[in-house]
Amino acid sequence: MLEATGLSKKYGDLDALKGLNLSIKSGDIYCLLGANGAGKSTTINLFLNFIDPSGGTATVNGLDVTKHPLETKKFLAYIPETVMLYGNLTGFENLAYFAKLGGHDEYTDADLKNFLKQVGLQDDAFDKRVSAYSKGMRQKVGVAIALAKQAKALLLDEPTSGLDPKASNEFSELLKQLQKGGAAILMATHDLFRAKETGTRIGIMREGKLMRELSTDEVSHADVERIYLEHMH
Amino acid sequence: MAEASLTRPSPPSMIGIVARKEFTETLRDGRFKWTAAIMALLLLTALASGWQRYAAYAEMQAAAQGTSNTQWLKQGDKNPHSAAHYGNYAFKQAGSLSFFDSGIEPYTGNLLFMEAHKQNLAISRPANDMSAVTRFGEINGATILQILMPLLIIFLGFAAFAGERERGTLRQLMSMGVSRQELMWGKALGIGGAAMLAIVPCLAVGTAVLAALDVSAAPDLGARVGVLALAYGAYGLIFLFLTLGVSALLGAPRNALIVLVGFWAFSVFLAPKTAAEISKLVHPSPSLGEFQAEMKADQVRGLDGVPTAAKFGKYVRELMAQYNVESPMKLPMYFPALRMQKLEEFDHVVFDHHYNSLRDTYMAQRRLQDALGVFAPVLPLTSASMGLAGSDLLHHDTYTQAAESHRRLMVERMNGYLSKAAVDLNGVSNSSNYMTADEEVFAIVPPFAYAPPDVRAVLAEYGGGLGLLFAWLLAALGFALFAASRFRLDVR
Repeated sequence: MLEATGLSKKYGDLDALKGLNLSIKSGDIYCLLGANGAGKSTTINLFLNFIDPSGGTATVNGLDVTKHPLETKKFLAYIPETVMLYGNLTGFENLAYFAKLGGHDEYTDADLKNFLKQVGLQDDAFDKRVSAYSKGMRQKVGVAIALAKQAKALLLDEPTSGLDPKASNEFSELLKQLQKGGAAILMATHDLFRAKETGTRIGIMREGKLMRELSTDEVSHADVERIYLEHMH
Repeated sequence: MAEASLTRPSPPSMIGIVARKEFTETLRDGRFKWTAAIMALLLLTALASGWQRYAAYAEMQAAAQGTSNTQWLKQGDKNPHSAAHYGNYAFKQAGSLSFFDSGIEPYTGNLLFMEAHKQNLAISRPANDMSAVTRFGEINGATILQILMPLLIIFLGFAAFAGERERGTLRQLMSMGVSRQELMWGKALGIGGAAMLAIVPCLAVGTAVLAALDVSAAPDLGARVGVLALAYGAYGLIFLFLTLGVSALLGAPRNALIVLVGFWAFSVFLAPKTAAEISKLVHPSPSLGEFQAEMKADQVRGLDGVPTAAKFGKYVRELMAQYNVESPMKLPMYFPALRMQKLEEFDHVVFDHHYNSLRDTYMAQRRLQDALGVFAPVLPLTSASMGLAGSDLLHHDTYTQAAESHRRLMVERMNGYLSKAAVDLNGVSNSSNYMTADEEVFAIVPPFAYAPPDVRAVLAEYGGGLGLLFAWLLAALGFALFAASRFRLDVR
């Protein structure tokens, strides 16, 4: 679903990403680990076609994102560190707006409310303006938007950083639901524990290079941490 | 599955979705509530007081013209030439839409005394009676739209892109697969729609007033209103597209606001003042004293350098030769009447020369100001607006020319009557005492009436300026679409 082939990005002399090869299939949760500046966000921005690659290709569902910038986005959902919503609109209105923008105007109000229920947003928050939402609530709306969009692939950029452990756990459960629904998920994170718990595969990046790939069912928590630290030195 | 979503029969219109959301969001914004309320209140006040002023003036004008016409007829029996000295007043018709834009009306005078020998300037300028408080001129609907509408649009739109970029929603938005151009159009539609809400009172009052107007008196009213609406619509859209374009290209909302308010202040305050000064430098207009002194001098020395007295002598000699008489007193017409009429006619050339050149100077000044509208769209709009409202120089000139034609007709008919009726009094001393005329004679001068220029004449004069306004609109749209293709997602 998500594929990078020799994907590179240069900013002047700086190699933000060097020849990344990556393939994420339906049902995969691929966790990208690495220090800040390792190229995780660059990878996500390249898949979103928010930046142009210096070399290589990124494809979504077989379509090159630079050639089909609008079509490929129809398959994607993006959840950043903090999901940014319109403060003057309610959670429900934000979802309705983004669902329509995602090409789905077929939902009834009840359908949309179901999405919000499904992600565990309290009922009494639906019609409150988002300016009063906590970060956890915003992330839930972000997942609801992905659900409503029927996204085939999710791009998550440190979506749980700053969430309390309970909210973080709830978020991971939602990811597992999406995974069961057949989504391909690429998540940049610093949370080694969550990566091992939730992910199916782990990629360790450093200075724009993918150093190592692991399958989470073949390694222990301790292994993940040890291997990660090995690559940081 | 993928194919299914690619071949959706009719994808929802992104522009409409974005527009509705922008509209709702704008309406909920405290900024909008306040600015729109103030705008609506000012417009209502200005239009209502403009209408009241217009109605009072129109009533006064009709009544006063009637009274003055009656006074002409009932002035009492006297020598016809003395009757021409007694004179009559020409009252200016108010521009049919001057309740909306009073243009130059407060400064040009609406009353003109028509008398023998002199072409007078219009007097009774409302501006003379204004207090110092109104030093910026009358507040009318046009001024509010010209000055405040752009500001309202800037306030509503400066954060359209820059604010979303700062808050991070622009990334979220663009990840949904919306095209940049559709986003631009949607925002233009939504924010433009919200701005329209604030201008609705203008439309409502305008419609009510138009319903109350006597349309048969001004058959081109519909066309004037239509072109006015188009012109102000274009003006609003120019600022809307500029605002959205700047908001898209500039990083932070604060910067966009500074740039836009700067352009606004330049455009509506600095540019008109500067354009007026430049136009006066390029096409200098005389002071009233200079104007009158020059005209007086030319009346004596003749425009062609042949003194009026010499011209008249030559004319009389030719006339005597034509009738084969040795003395002007032997001519088959009353000589004093002939003389007065002929001297009038020599003056006509001088009056025409000076008044036309003054008018041409003012027109040239205005056309230059319109052309300077390449720097500020408000310049051609201001001109066209008062032209369409009927309160501009074109309408004033038609009025003063009509009054002058009427004056000449009045003098000519009185002198003509005298020259025939008093033919036997040639050479009789104090002859003017023996020749009196009554109401029946005065009635050979019809009551003063004139037709203001119609909308075709207005469009012929202001077509270029309106064209410039629409060129601005296209340029602003082009800029907005260019900005849409270039805007950044993140603050850097």
